Amino acid sequence: MSESTSAGSPTAELSPERRAELLALAPADALVALAEQCLLDDDLVVIAGPEVGMVMLTVREPIALERFHLGEVLVTRAEVERAGARGWCMRLGDDRLATLAAAVLDAEVGARGGQADAVVALCLATERDHDAEAEREWRDLAPTEVRFDELD
Amino acid sequence: MGYVAAKGGLEAIRAAEELVRRRRNSGTSPWLETSQLTERLRLAVDRVIGEGGLWAPDLAARAFRQAEGDVIEASHLVRSYRSTLPRLAYSEPVDMDHLEVLRRIVPAYRNPPGPQLLGRTLDYTGRLIDFTPDDVAQAAANCEAPTEAEEGPAADADTASDDAARRPGRLYRMLRDLDLVVDRTNPDDPEPYDITRQPARPGAPRSARLSTMARAETGALVQLWYRNILGPDNHLHEITLGEVRHGHLPVPVAHPRTGRPVAIGRVRVTEVEAIEDLDGIDEDGSRFDVGYGLCFGHNERKAIAMANLDISVHRDRGRSALEQSVLQTTDGLDASGFLEHLKLPHYVTFRSMVERKMARRSDEARGRAQAVHGLGGDEPDPELNNEELCR
Repeated sequence: MSESTSAGSPTAELSPERRAELLALAPADALVALAEQCLLDDDLVVIAGPEVGMVMLTVREPIALERFHLGEVLVTRAEVERAGARGWCMRLGDDRLATLAAAVLDAEVGARGGQADAVVALCLATERDHDAEAEREWRDLAPTEVRFDELD
Repeated sequence: MGYVAAKGGLEAIRAAEELVRRRRNSGTSPWLETSQLTERLRLAVDRVIGEGGLWAPDLAARAFRQAEGDVIEASHLVRSYRSTLPRLAYSEPVDMDHLEVLRRIVPAYRNPPGPQLLGRTLDYTGRLIDFTPDDVAQAAANCEAPTEAEEGPAADADTASDDAARRPGRLYRMLRDLDLVVDRTNPDDPEPYDITRQPARPGAPRSARLSTMARAETGALVQLWYRNILGPDNHLHEITLGEVRHGHLPVPVAHPRTGRPVAIGRVRVTEVEAIEDLDGIDEDGSRFDVGYGLCFGHNERKAIAMANLDISVHRDRGRSALEQSVLQTTDGLDASGFLEHLKLPHYVTFRSMVERKMARRSDEARGRAQAVHGLGGDEPDPELNNEELCR
């Protein structure tokens, strides 16, 4: 939903919201591997979680524009502090390790740590993978579009 | 007969549980991975998600496997698990125009805004069992799987990036622009009712009905719809469907530091708009009204029934028991739980019923004896034992 910004160094290319979105989507093994690199200096305070819980998904229906609760979504959330910077992540599903790792990476960018560019690179790679998946999905869907012919 | 407290059966219950586990998990077939269920039996898993009220595909697949394919039992497992979890946040209200379609048809109108995409559907497939031998089908599937090298750019990349294709406009808006639908906009924007915290009862706001139907049992909604179309209740017309959509919906939550929305992922939902031809004496017959259905996963039957029932309850305005039926009889867990409890021992209940029957027979016998022997007659019925007569 959020949009990338484009200015200067790679770390400036992503808004905090877009970074959080992409860290929420990034592959778990890549997150954990990069977080381990970040944590070599052992500077980490876990503020919250990682905790498995739910988000109530609320929608606004298009007829009367009324809100209603569709149902809940399983999520994992974590928040950390690293070198004075807060890092936060919430991912769908039940994966404490990946979520904690993503929060560490979020803090790494906020603290402009040594792996910050690598974190942004991971985010941008995730974005490309997501776009490629959307294209693959459309390739399957496009031939199913119905085109009607007028009868004389 | 007297009442006797009893206990027992624990060992038998454990043995029955173990029998289920052993028969389910062993056998000659390969281990059933949850990924097989989410990929190949997605409609069943989607029902578990929808009726469990929790978007968690892997968890739903695990529950479905544990329940040996029983959707309601699996939904029960999901709801039980759900009850152990904290609610960490409420999403930002999602504008349904953000739905990215995987399928979209408009039965009411040939040229709606945006494409009509059949997508992944069995609707137009002949109802013929596929007898292709497994090895042949498997070989064909392997040939169909695209390799990385084969995956070039999309056939129509311009269309892929086109919001009009993936987020098409709505027929409802066309009708509204033509002033052909009643304005139902609620300027008060009431807080949505939370059915997980407080059971909904008749008189509850519409948001309670929508939430209730979103996690209702599919068969219950379809049955209620059908009963109202062809059955005795007759509260429903045969409504025209405006939109039938299946697609991805983002899950936006507020970023803890900036407060701006962050889409932490997406869920799949089915959305339906049902156009009702108003013909009541107190209704605006020059316009239509529209009902709305939305549920987790791909479940068009459920969303269609929901949209139909939404507009029907709205039009009924509490005149019949329809709202009560929607709110109180469509939950799969409620209904199945009540039904299945009948299998539990009812020894005391039944014994008391037997005793009432015996007492009644005793009274009747006494009455017959009095009729034969006069008012003071106290000759006992030889077929009844004295103990019962003296009660």
